[in-house]
Amino acid sequence: MKKKRNGLIQIGILAALGAAMIASSILPRDAGWNRTADPIEVSVVIRESDSFLWTNTRLGMEQAAGELRAELRFLTIPLANDPEAQLQSLRWEGEQGADVLVVVPADPAALASALIEAPLDRPLVAMESPVDNVALTVAPDNEALGRELAMAALEDWRSGALLLVCGSRPGTGPAIRAEAAQQALIQAGIRTQLETLAEEGDLRQLLESAGAAGVLVFEPALTEQAGALKESLDLDVPLYGVGLTASIAARLERGSITAVAAWSDFVAGYLAVESAVSQATGEDLPLEPLPFFVVRGDEIYDPEYQKLLFPVTP
Amino acid sequence: MSAFFQRLAGRAADRFRSMNIQTVISLSFTAVALAGILFMGFSLLLRFSNASQTQMQEQTQRLLSQVNLNLDNYLHRMMRISDTMYYRVIKNTDLAEATLTAGMDLLYEENRDTLVSIAVFDAGGGLVEAAPQWSVKASAMPEESRWFQMAMGRMENLHFSTPHIQEMFEDPDYRYRWVVSLSRHVQLTRGGNTESGVLLVDMSFGGVAQICRDVELPNNGYLYLVDRTGELIYHPRQQMIYTGLMEENQREAAAYSDGAHEEEFQGQRRQVVVKTVGYTGWKLVGVVPEGSFLGESQSWLLFGLSLVLFSAFLMAFLNFRISAYIADPIRRLDHAVKALEAGEEDVVIDDAGCYEVRRLSHSIRSMVSTLQHLMDDIIQQEAQKRRSELEVLQSQINPHFLYNTLDSVIWMTESGRNAEAVQMVTSLARLFRIALSQGKRVIPLSDELEHARHYLNIQKIRYRNQFDVRITAHPGAEGLYTLKLTIQPLLENAINHGMAGSVEDGLISVDARREGGDLVIDVTDNGVGIRPEIAAALLDEDRPALHANGSGIGVRNVHQRIRLTFGPPYGLTILSEPDEGTTARLRLPALDEAAAERYRQEDAP
Repeated sequence: MKKKRNGLIQIGILAALGAAMIASSILPRDAGWNRTADPIEVSVVIRESDSFLWTNTRLGMEQAAGELRAELRFLTIPLANDPEAQLQSLRWEGEQGADVLVVVPADPAALASALIEAPLDRPLVAMESPVDNVALTVAPDNEALGRELAMAALEDWRSGALLLVCGSRPGTGPAIRAEAAQQALIQAGIRTQLETLAEEGDLRQLLESAGAAGVLVFEPALTEQAGALKESLDLDVPLYGVGLTASIAARLERGSITAVAAWSDFVAGYLAVESAVSQATGEDLPLEPLPFFVVRGDEIYDPEYQKLLFPVTP
Repeated sequence: MSAFFQRLAGRAADRFRSMNIQTVISLSFTAVALAGILFMGFSLLLRFSNASQTQMQEQTQRLLSQVNLNLDNYLHRMMRISDTMYYRVIKNTDLAEATLTAGMDLLYEENRDTLVSIAVFDAGGGLVEAAPQWSVKASAMPEESRWFQMAMGRMENLHFSTPHIQEMFEDPDYRYRWVVSLSRHVQLTRGGNTESGVLLVDMSFGGVAQICRDVELPNNGYLYLVDRTGELIYHPRQQMIYTGLMEENQREAAAYSDGAHEEEFQGQRRQVVVKTVGYTGWKLVGVVPEGSFLGESQSWLLFGLSLVLFSAFLMAFLNFRISAYIADPIRRLDHAVKALEAGEEDVVIDDAGCYEVRRLSHSIRSMVSTLQHLMDDIIQQEAQKRRSELEVLQSQINPHFLYNTLDSVIWMTESGRNAEAVQMVTSLARLFRIALSQGKRVIPLSDELEHARHYLNIQKIRYRNQFDVRITAHPGAEGLYTLKLTIQPLLENAINHGMAGSVEDGLISVDARREGGDLVIDVTDNGVGIRPEIAAALLDEDRPALHANGSGIGVRNVHQRIRLTFGPPYGLTILSEPDEGTTARLRLPALDEAAAERYRQEDAP
């Protein structure tokens, strides 16, 4: 009886050791530890038809994609700020196997309601503008940015009304900035005129006819346009904008643009892809608003600013 | 606490002592083997890890040396361009008569893959010439630039700047290029006179970044470049660091000497290898996180674990088999010895297992055989002794009786009672024939009763018919066997003591019957009886015989013979009432012929 029990114990020990040995041999293969994981496909859909203004953002995205073994697709839409086309692009990318989507929403409200009606079966990360039911948004604090830009204008203001121009739909990042700037200026007792542009030609009319004491625009594309118009129309009105492209920097240097609120597009792009990958892999990555600063023409070559605003490119 | 551990150790020792040999061998071997395997596994892992760390360190140093060499080449190329520009172009040109354009453009075109611009400034910061032929921005003040001041301040040296945006020239494409500036003091010739100036060679920083970026260090390590003050020149995530979303330990690293260091930064231990870049004082810093070898090599760990488990499995299997090979024969031997102790006769002692166990089995087998022989000898000796005792007891009966009978025959013959003498002699002959019974101890009951009858016939003649005799064998007792000469001593006792005092109406009866598995023979007389203390003393062999004529010895002999032959449950019982009579009751096993035959065989020598 005792011998039989000992025999059973021995068989049990051998079976346990054998099972553990087999498990430790098979586990790495079945768990895919020896396999190189497939890259995560990240599709980025911006709200513009031209990605020229997103060069630095793409650099950041590509660096993050390289470090995190992601595959990046960067897409524009045929018509700028067309929410329908953007939604179609997002759905198409989802169907084509993108693991996670990054969107710069043309119309956050329309996108949110479309997603409620027919949700995407892929995680979504927003840039620039928050979207309802989308957990992660890579953007500066738009309200704070609008207020800071308003404060910069306020420093130079002597008299008269300020013209605030927004080129995006309500709910977008630029619109939020514009509203916040207007609030700040009103609180400071300054008359404001907030205009939302429907077409590109409207900006010229506005600049020519408004007779404002200063102009504030809230997105890079509009800042470039306003700077170019100001130079071509030879207007003598302080211009405050957002973003820092090469042409904005040149106009800042020349004084055509008085100040801009800017952030590192490179960092924005990096964080967007990093957040997207974390969403795809189910990790919980804390995301803070992007740090921004207001820079004037004589400050752009300060070592700290130039490091931040002009990414090193090969 | 110590008491607890002592109790624990005591329990373990008790448990260990109560284990069988196979468990002890298996557990001990397995524990030792497992400890050995684990020790070796950890030693190998540690050694492998250390070797890997060393290898990583060496690899990092080799990579850094290669990067350093590439950077050195890169900077050396800038210096060659600067030298060529100065010694071949500027020194050979009198600015009052010619320009630097041709030589400068040629040099620029030859090196435009790395060059951003070449420019010569006079001592006041005014642009003398530049390639490409950009103009200086109105807002630019070259004389206030650090590169200009360094060149004018230390005229004998070449000065490398840290990377910066080249913002001095008007670029129609609005391109903001990152450059590394090499500036030096130059002697310009103008109208035969020499004057101070500054030669500026701007090389694209993208080349430096490219050299650093393409390096892959082990374990997701990375490389960065700092100047002597700890200012970042290149870092793969420098934008994140500038934004404050990441931190780097560059200030500390700038103070490190060349070689390998270990540091802890943000809770992570890491190996840092530092190499100073020539001419510039910049430092290349290679960072390899420690612990990533184990952290990122789970499959290696599992492989090691699998090997350890396999070894443990193999060792356990071998230990179980070896312990079984050693212990099983010992266990079987133990069982055999226990069986022998329990008195089993046909016990098989295996001749298996190791040499020592086989030797032990052989010895035990030999010892058992010897013991059995000794026991057989003892049994035979005991039997012989018993036979001798019986014969002695038996021999105590005959001479006395024979003497009296022969005396009676003589007396009857002398007195002319020949018929009675013949009867007596006949009975005596018959008596002895039955008494001899061919030497058999166990005889048919009928013979024993016949023997009793002849004995009584003799005694009746001797005692002149003072008593009657009645011998009865009840149904069921006919075919039984009994120990011979058991009734006669009782009759002798009845005659000598029971009838001694009676004159007439004496009766001696012999009654044989079967009671279950026993044969009971009552010899009863109606004589004077025996006092209880005398009756009790009759059968007590430790007491001396009570009668001077020794007839009590016969009764006691009968009792002893029965008990020696059949065991304590059997024997003689005396039942007596003074003045009423005495019954001597023999109780023997009811032996049939086969049982009697077995006893006879035992008696055979």
